[in-house]
Amino acid sequence: MKLKLAVFVAAAGLLVTLPAMAHHSFSAEFDGNKPVRLVGKLVKLEWTNPHSYFYIAVADDKGVVSNWGCEGGGPGALSRAGMKKGDLKIGDTIVVDGYLAKDGSHLIDARRVTLPDGRNIYGGSPGDGGPPEGAVTSKK
Amino acid sequence: MRRLFIKLFAASLALSFCAWAQDGQGGGRGRRGPVPTGPTPKTADGHPDFTGYWRDDGNANPHGNIGKDLPGFKLPFTKAGEAAHSYNVEHTVDPESLCLPGGIPREDAGDGSFQLVQNGPDTVFLYQYGTFRVVPTDGRKHSEDPDPTYFGEEIGSWDGDTFVIDSIAFKDTKTWADENADPHSDALHTIERWTRPDAGHLHLELTIDDPKFYTQPIHFQRTWVASPGQHTREQACSENNIDVSAGHLGFGPGPIRADGTRGYDNPAPLPPPVSKTNPAKTILPPGFH
Repeated sequence: MKLKLAVFVAAAGLLVTLPAMAHHSFSAEFDGNKPVRLVGKLVKLEWTNPHSYFYIAVADDKGVVSNWGCEGGGPGALSRAGMKKGDLKIGDTIVVDGYLAKDGSHLIDARRVTLPDGRNIYGGSPGDGGPPEGAVTSKK
Repeated sequence: MRRLFIKLFAASLALSFCAWAQDGQGGGRGRRGPVPTGPTPKTADGHPDFTGYWRDDGNANPHGNIGKDLPGFKLPFTKAGEAAHSYNVEHTVDPESLCLPGGIPREDAGDGSFQLVQNGPDTVFLYQYGTFRVVPTDGRKHSEDPDPTYFGEEIGSWDGDTFVIDSIAFKDTKTWADENADPHSDALHTIERWTRPDAGHLHLELTIDDPKFYTQPIHFQRTWVASPGQHTREQACSENNIDVSAGHLGFGPGPIRADGTRGYDNPAPLPPPVSKTNPAKTILPPGFH
């Protein structure tokens, strides 16, 4: 039983490998020492190249709202990772885990996106030198 | 059993890392079928037919580094080459992020899968972000004063079953030679020797000769595997390139790991995926709101 589990986990690690091209190096734009989790309502979705963007309104504990941009892979990479444009609607609450931009702006790398249905999707640009899919997502 | 579990999991993650460093552009390397087997297909004129969609075989590591086959991945820079490399790292934004063509040797060393179309006297490479090159194979020679381009003036020829591309007249320091911001000069001369030993594999032996920036020619080789049914797709690089237009992107490739790839050695882990024990609550570094 344990052997089956071990093989399953190893196989799962391979299945979630979705490499793709990169438009630029992850570390040229984002700070690998500043991980972030944003929980907010989707206010705008740009399903574009070379990157897709999720713009979300994030409320703090006092109810003060700030707007953030989340940079994901292009439509091809996101589609291969299991996300379709129709998975998201304006007003949906999503969770985006990633890394803060080095320039200090309200921009993060959307390395993991948790959709309203609970699925977490690899949102990064594979091949950019950032954390790979197998290291950041768990398939449900 | 515990050790076996750990080994298998580690192996799967290691393979994930290797593969993530490669590309799947244009529908490329996601969940994919087996590599075709069988003999090398031939064109009507009897040459090997390289037509197809090609993705990395997972062994070209460190990926995106023209020094991958050198001891310690150490490039033989001249003094001018060393200075050009430092300039790239400290003062230039990645030319590909500006939507300029990657050119050669970067496309040969990089992440991207590509589509290859062999059509009589023209061999066409279709890369990501709408980049392409057409290699004439009609017996012509290099021009006397060719205009510099990102892919250079390319001349194709056959040496038996080997397709040879001899290229000169490259743009100078306007581009990077690989993902790590290694430079090339306008003195660059590349010789690519392409073979298709069977239906499923495409192999490249590349010589990079740039006496301005490197004290000796650099030899580089790698293999791609066929990915039937895939094709290069539209990717409009300038559609929404706010990394550059909004100034988010810094100079150079960022840190280079000891294994010769770009990226942080030990990035801080992301919060664990949302679950009952890890609620969906915003987590920001101190000072941000």
